Formats: sequence, structure tokens, C-alpha cells
Amino acid sequence: MIDLSKEIWQTLSTNKLRTLLTGMSVAWGIFMLIMLLGMAKGVLNSFSSSDFAKSANVIQLWPGNAAKAYHGLKEGRRVDLKEHNLKEVERDNQSGVIEAAPELSSASTKISTSKDYVTKNYAGVYPEAQEQTKMTYGRFINENDLSKQRKVIVLDLKTAEVLFDKPEEAVGKIVNMSGLSFTVIGIYEHRWKNRIYIPYTTAKALNAYSDKLSTIRVTTTELSTEAEAKQLENDIRATLGKVNRHAPDDESAVWSWNRFANYLSGQQGMRILNTVMWVIGMLTLITGIVGVSNIMFVSVRERTHEIGIRRAIGAKPRNILTQVIVESVALTTIFGYIGIIMGTIGTTVLDKMFGNTDFIKNPTVDLSIAIEVTIVLIIAGALAGLFPALRALKIKPVEALRTE
Amino acid sequence: MEKNDIMIHLRDINKTYPGAVPLHVLKGINLDIARGELVSIMGASGSGKSTLLNILGILDNYDTGEYILDGTEIKDLSENRAAELRNKLIGFVFQSFNLINYKDAVENVALPLFYQGVSRKKRNKLALEQLERMGLKEWAHHLPSELSGGQKQRVAIARALITNPAIILADEPTGALDSKTSVEVMKLFRQLNEEGMTIVIVTHDPNVGAQTNRIIRIADGLIGVDGKEIASK
Repeated sequence: MIDLSKEIWQTLSTNKLRTLLTGMSVAWGIFMLIMLLGMAKGVLNSFSSSDFAKSANVIQLWPGNAAKAYHGLKEGRRVDLKEHNLKEVERDNQSGVIEAAPELSSASTKISTSKDYVTKNYAGVYPEAQEQTKMTYGRFINENDLSKQRKVIVLDLKTAEVLFDKPEEAVGKIVNMSGLSFTVIGIYEHRWKNRIYIPYTTAKALNAYSDKLSTIRVTTTELSTEAEAKQLENDIRATLGKVNRHAPDDESAVWSWNRFANYLSGQQGMRILNTVMWVIGMLTLITGIVGVSNIMFVSVRERTHEIGIRRAIGAKPRNILTQVIVESVALTTIFGYIGIIMGTIGTTVLDKMFGNTDFIKNPTVDLSIAIEVTIVLIIAGALAGLFPALRALKIKPVEALRTE
Repeated sequence: MEKNDIMIHLRDINKTYPGAVPLHVLKGINLDIARGELVSIMGASGSGKSTLLNILGILDNYDTGEYILDGTEIKDLSENRAAELRNKLIGFVFQSFNLINYKDAVENVALPLFYQGVSRKKRNKLALEQLERMGLKEWAHHLPSELSGGQKQRVAIARALITNPAIILADEPTGALDSKTSVEVMKLFRQLNEEGMTIVIVTHDPNVGAQTNRIIRIADGLIGVDGKEIASK
């Protein structure tokens, strides 16, 4: 091994400039590949770290109007979601459902303090409705708030800024809503969410203890395919159809939004993006590889006499083949790694420039890409060396006797 | 001659180069060279001298006939087997030295052992010994471009000797040397021959031929009759 690497070092350093120029084309190809993959990864990271992705395992259901007649019931009738539906959904779909939680939204209500007022609707929820939202101040609704029907409220930052001079001191203060006093327990800031939350039980009391729900939020187990997610959605609708008496496949009786299915198709888009980046990167790399192959041809031709000598003094065809291919692989990998280093620097620069924007997040390459690229380099180098090596095999030992 | 004393045995060797006009180069060569002989093969260009050398060196095939080298029949060999036999049985010395120009003297001398799979340490030691024998110890780590013609040829001879071959096959070994160095190199060959090495020198230089024990003349694809040949043995 040491011998082979020494041989290769000797031959590569005999033609330093040529080796360098050829190597640069490979380095450039790898640099481009890494940059493209890094960018694809950045977009992917940005997508999968979004709140959308983190709370992907939720199916939301809303009451609707039946579109199909069912067991003598006419189409067009109202189908309500009731509190008891939660238990039924959990019971009949145990494999896919972790929790079914209710949500009760109000019509617009005036929320006021001594400073100002806003007109907004609130949502009565379970603690799970927090999803991945981070609280800026205070906390979200908890189990105790639910069981004790506490009159507590969670505000978004913009609303809090309207209602209080100093939102950071708003936790513990009182707001008026529907003629009742609510204690502010938490304030959150979110890119697009701006709802006001109170405990579900409190909202139910405000709604004259009606058991009608405005939304059912089903938290699902980890699903892997879109088909699986769609199946669960259909199963849940069928369960509801049985108890609420509508056709099991009536999508209009129960409206649903399957975030997971959406997330998966988004993910598939990301995979396609990644593949496209690989393809473009590889095509760029091919230019470099053709360059290496070309230079190996030149090198074999130049060394015809030398190869003849080697053959004459006992080199077997296999020795010659190995030498040319290993030389090509060495050339490709050495400069490939220079490309990887350049690419890593490049993606780090990219990270510094765009790392915190919405579309690219942490566009740096990790170890797995480095390993993949290494494999690509070795295969590419071997391919580049293969044809020149086969040419070298045709050189007869008699060449050694020709005078230069 | 005893059978096992024959190093090279050629019987009715024929070689034709195919082509639009097939070229019948060797027309039935019969030749025996005994162990420990120092012979020269002489002939004009176009006489088939080079072709004979290629066949003797297992660098080329012949069409019909019989070639036995050191008890091994050389016939229809695979590339691998041919390479192996060249490595083991033959030490080549070329006109243009044929050293690899980016390798220093030791590396050049050690190269045949590399293809035998001898460890680096061992082959460098053996190469150094051979160079010492040639009086080139101080030049062991010089590149061929830093050596004189005579030194290069001695490095090449060291390389030919390192595998301890059955024969040394030299192709115009003094062709690229001045007369003084030529004499030195020939002296070296004679010395090696006295130590028991079988040496075949292909040349067109009568002075070189004169320093060998037997001259084999080849003309028009056939071995000629030479006074010296008849006289010997």
C-alpha cells in the first residue's frame, strides 16, 4: 500500500501543473455538488424545523353538512360534532390515535382593559393545543385550569401590546371578556398564529354547557406514509359516521384537514429537490471526471515506454491496471477533498449570509453527505481510470526495446 | 552437452509477421546455448536479430518450433505466466538503459522484486547490495538524470541481476556508451560470466562480439556458420 501510494505520488508530482489543473476541475465539480446539496439541505432544514412540520401529526375535524342521504336521513342536514365523539374516535382507532381533543371557538367578543380593547374570537382548548408554540411570558393552559374551569387567558403578543403598556408585565393582570374577569397566564409570539386561548371547560361554561364542538383535534401516532395518514383520516370519518349517522365516506359531513398528509407531500417535494440537486451536482462533476479520464489517457500514452519496461521486468497486466486506476482514484479523491473543504467553507459562508432567513436554515453538509460524496469520488475516479487502464493493458512489453 | 547444461534450446523456430505481405522473419532457427556461456548474437538490421531477441526474452510469441529456457518450455503462455517467467528467469539490459526516470537508483534496481511481492525493506536492502557490487553505493539515491551513461548501465545491470535470473539478455548494451565506458561494461559482463552467469548479448558491434566466447551470426532469418562457433566446444 505504501509502495503504491509512493508510486502514485511520484507520477502525480512529475507533472505538477497538469495534475493541478485537472484536479481543479474535479474540485470544482465537488464544490458545486456540496454547495447544491448544502442549499437543498438548508431548504429542507427550514421546512422540517417549521412549526408546520413539528406539529404535523394532527388531523383536524370540523362539523359540516351531509352531502349524501343516509338511512332515510336527507342530504344537506347539519352534522354536529359532540363531546362524546372524542371518546369514540379514541376508542375505535387506538392504533393511530394518541388523543382526541376538543376545541370550542366563540364568535367575536370584546376583550378590554383599562387601557384599550380588541374584538376577537377566543378558542377553548386542551393543553395539547399549544403544539410547538413557545411562550414568551408565562405559561399555556394546563390540566388544572381545565379541571377547575379557571377563568384564565393566553394572549398573543400583538393583542397584549394593545391591551397593556408593558406586555412583559401583563402576566397576572386582569382582562374583561364577556362581562367576566380573566387572569392573563401567558403571552406567546408566533409568525402567523394570533388566537386567544382559554380552557375548554371554561369556554363550555360560557357556552351554556353545550356539548357541541367547533373542532376536534386528533393527535396521531408517527405515520410514515401518506396512504397511512389518509387511511386513518377515513377510519375516523367512518367512526363518526356510525355514531353521528352519516355516510362513512361523506367528506362534507365532517370536514377534515390532515396536516400529516400535507406534510408528507411537502416532504416528498423536498426529496425531489434533493434528488435534482444531486443530479445537477453530478453532471457538474462529470465534467471534472471526463477531464481526469482524458489526462489519464495522456499519461498512459506518455508512459507507454515506461509501462513497457515494467512489463518486461515482470509487471503483470493486473499490476498495470491497478496502478492506473488507483492513480485516477487518488487524483480524483485528493482534489475531491479539496472540493469538499472548499464546499464546506462555501456553505458556512452561505450559512452566515442566509442562515437565519425563512427559506434556508443551516445549509451546511454533515458527515453522511461527506461519506456519500467520498463513495461517489471513488467510483468516479475508478470509472475515469478504467478506459485509460484498459488502453495501458494493450501496451506490449516489446515497447521496452524501442529506443525513445 | 548434458541436457541440464543447456540453458537455451531453440529448435526450428519460425516467426512470420502477418500483413498484406506476410513477412517470414525467422525461418527455422536452431540454437543451443549452454549454462555459463557468454555469447553474442550478431546480424545486420533486418536479419531477424531483434525478433529473435524478443522471442528469447519472452516478449513475443513464435509460430512453430520449440523453445526451452532453463528447463521450462516457453510456448503459448498467458500474459501473467510470461510476466512471471520474465521476472524470474531473465535479466534485461537495454541499449537505452530503460531506467524509470522519476525513481532513484535503489528504487529502479528494486522494481523487479516489487512485482514479486518482496517487502519494501528487504528489496531495498538487496538493491543496495547489488548497487554496492556495481560500485554505485554512493549514487544509490540519485535519479537516473544525475548519473553518467556508464553508471546508468551499471544500475540497469544491477536491476537485471537482482532477481538472480537464469540468463542476462542484453540488447546493444554499449550502443549508447562511449568507447571507454563500453570497455568497462564489457569487462563487467565478462566478470559476471566468470562468476557463472549465462549472458546473451545482441549487438552489431564487432568489438563487443569479439569479447564474447562465441558469436552467433544471424542472416536472413537463419543462423549462419561462424568460424568461431565451430571452433568453440
